[in-house]
Amino acid sequence: MDKKVLLKRMKGNPFFVIGAILALVILIVCFCSPLFIRFNPIVNSTAEKLHSPEGLKNGLSGHIFGTDQLGRDVLSRLLIGGRFSLLIAFIVVILQTLIGTILGIIAGYIGGIVDSVIMRLCDVFLAIPNLILAIAIMSVLGSSPKNLVIVLVVSGWVSYCKVTRNSVRVVKNQDFVHASQVMGAGKMHIMMTQIFPNVTTNLIILASQEIGNTILIEAALSFLSLGIQPPTPSWGNMISTGRTYLMVRPWLVLVPGIALMLTVLAFNFLGDGLRDVFDPKRVS
Amino acid sequence: MLKYIIKRLLQTVVVLFIVSIFSFLLIRIAPGNPALLMLPDTASEEQVKDMEANLGLDKPLINQYFHYMSGVLKGDLGNSTTYRVPVADVIPERLITTAKLTLTTIILGTLISIPLGIVAGAHRGTAVDFFSMFFALLGQSMSPVWLAVLNVYVFSVVLDWFPSMGTGGLKYIILPTITLAYPMAAKITRVARSGMIDTLSEDYITSTYAKGIKRSVVYRKYALKNALIPVITLIGIQIAQFLAGTVVVETVFSWPGTGQLINQAVQNRDYALVQSMLLISAAIFTIINLLVDIINSFIDPRMRLE
Repeated sequence: MDKKVLLKRMKGNPFFVIGAILALVILIVCFCSPLFIRFNPIVNSTAEKLHSPEGLKNGLSGHIFGTDQLGRDVLSRLLIGGRFSLLIAFIVVILQTLIGTILGIIAGYIGGIVDSVIMRLCDVFLAIPNLILAIAIMSVLGSSPKNLVIVLVVSGWVSYCKVTRNSVRVVKNQDFVHASQVMGAGKMHIMMTQIFPNVTTNLIILASQEIGNTILIEAALSFLSLGIQPPTPSWGNMISTGRTYLMVRPWLVLVPGIALMLTVLAFNFLGDGLRDVFDPKRVS
Repeated sequence: MLKYIIKRLLQTVVVLFIVSIFSFLLIRIAPGNPALLMLPDTASEEQVKDMEANLGLDKPLINQYFHYMSGVLKGDLGNSTTYRVPVADVIPERLITTAKLTLTTIILGTLISIPLGIVAGAHRGTAVDFFSMFFALLGQSMSPVWLAVLNVYVFSVVLDWFPSMGTGGLKYIILPTITLAYPMAAKITRVARSGMIDTLSEDYITSTYAKGIKRSVVYRKYALKNALIPVITLIGIQIAQFLAGTVVVETVFSWPGTGQLINQAVQNRDYALVQSMLLISAAIFTIINLLVDIINSFIDPRMRLE
């Protein structure tokens, strides 16, 4: 597709513009946070327990969003926690895309028994609800960031595989693929250089939508204390511990909750916008 | 028709067979002695030896699997270490509690979302349409974790309208229902809306206009049925997901259903229970999906050809 047309459509799509700007701001703020946070997000400071949010009363050096039950600055924990969540979501989505795409291309291009086996495998993973699968595996493997990534990848690669396989089945019957075959190109070559470039659009759309989803599942796991373990902050475990203080210190829940919502909203807008940009005919 | 049903039935059996292998392997890929995992921490050496013999750990994996499956098919899912009763005795009651919540959620969710989605799709580009899209995108971005706690804060802490946890009368079911229904309603609104838009652009709808049939009649008599096919599929999937366990919501609201049971089982390292819940969740999920496909193939004969 023409780059100019795409760029024009991107600018004309409010969902895409809002999502992209919001996502970019969140990414920059979270990933650059070690440069400017003023408090250690992990070390307790018992003298400063449960301070109310100060806003900008003391400028940037105060506890803008207050402190938690162990005296740690909520803003610092929020940003560092967000960095973990986003980093994990990106790693997971990249790995999912990789595994899903490779299996999808193989299934779609080779077809036959290979296709059937891979599709049944997909059915099996689709048969177990994502979160239940993640919880079950996490409970036997034990929680560590590495296991968290494995579990999230395992419970989410199927949609990429199915999407890729279906697009490959359309692409592989087109003339340029036949031409390649006639010229004697190997299967590997055709899969990588002829077919793959033609299925990337759907993958980009799916991956951008899955970032939000992955963040949600990670938050749920951390909330159930199966994900990122305290004292390392994550939005899920901040909501989980803050819940105890909901009556008296609601900001401990509201701050990470709103951050979680805005982040997922940003990536959902972005994903939806991207889909409309690539395929304006389709309705959402 | 029959051929399609038999084909789907066979697929379901294959899937469930593989899921059973997976749930069997679950406690065997865990580090440590599987027999110890299946027993309470206080188990004596003798009990461990008994459990090892029972699991058949000295035999090849394949024999262990057949032993496990013959138990499962007879309804023997092992013993829960926390409840100290057979797992099969714990689950039915939990399933009923979850089913109640599922029922109220589906009713609330569909009552809001289907009219909203249909009207939005029929009047594309209007204020209603814009509201429906905003409603849907916000709902899909709501983590159950955040929405549950937010509802507790707003409706229990600030307004003090509903209790925040437990079971009992109608007022206990309202908050968990709202929490589950919103994200579901968001998804259904989108699907109903795009179903309506897709259907209205079909040739047969244009031809009804050409015949001079009134717009409202076209919507009601011709478009609605086709627009609702993807909605039925989605509702089926949602019911399956809810019954299989809404872990976060049930945990926050202390709703004693399957989701809470899974979470407790994991926290208590009650692996016989975790293993069985995995198997049962998958079975419920797959069987409901099968039913949805069969219902759909009755409504829309094109489905059978795929």
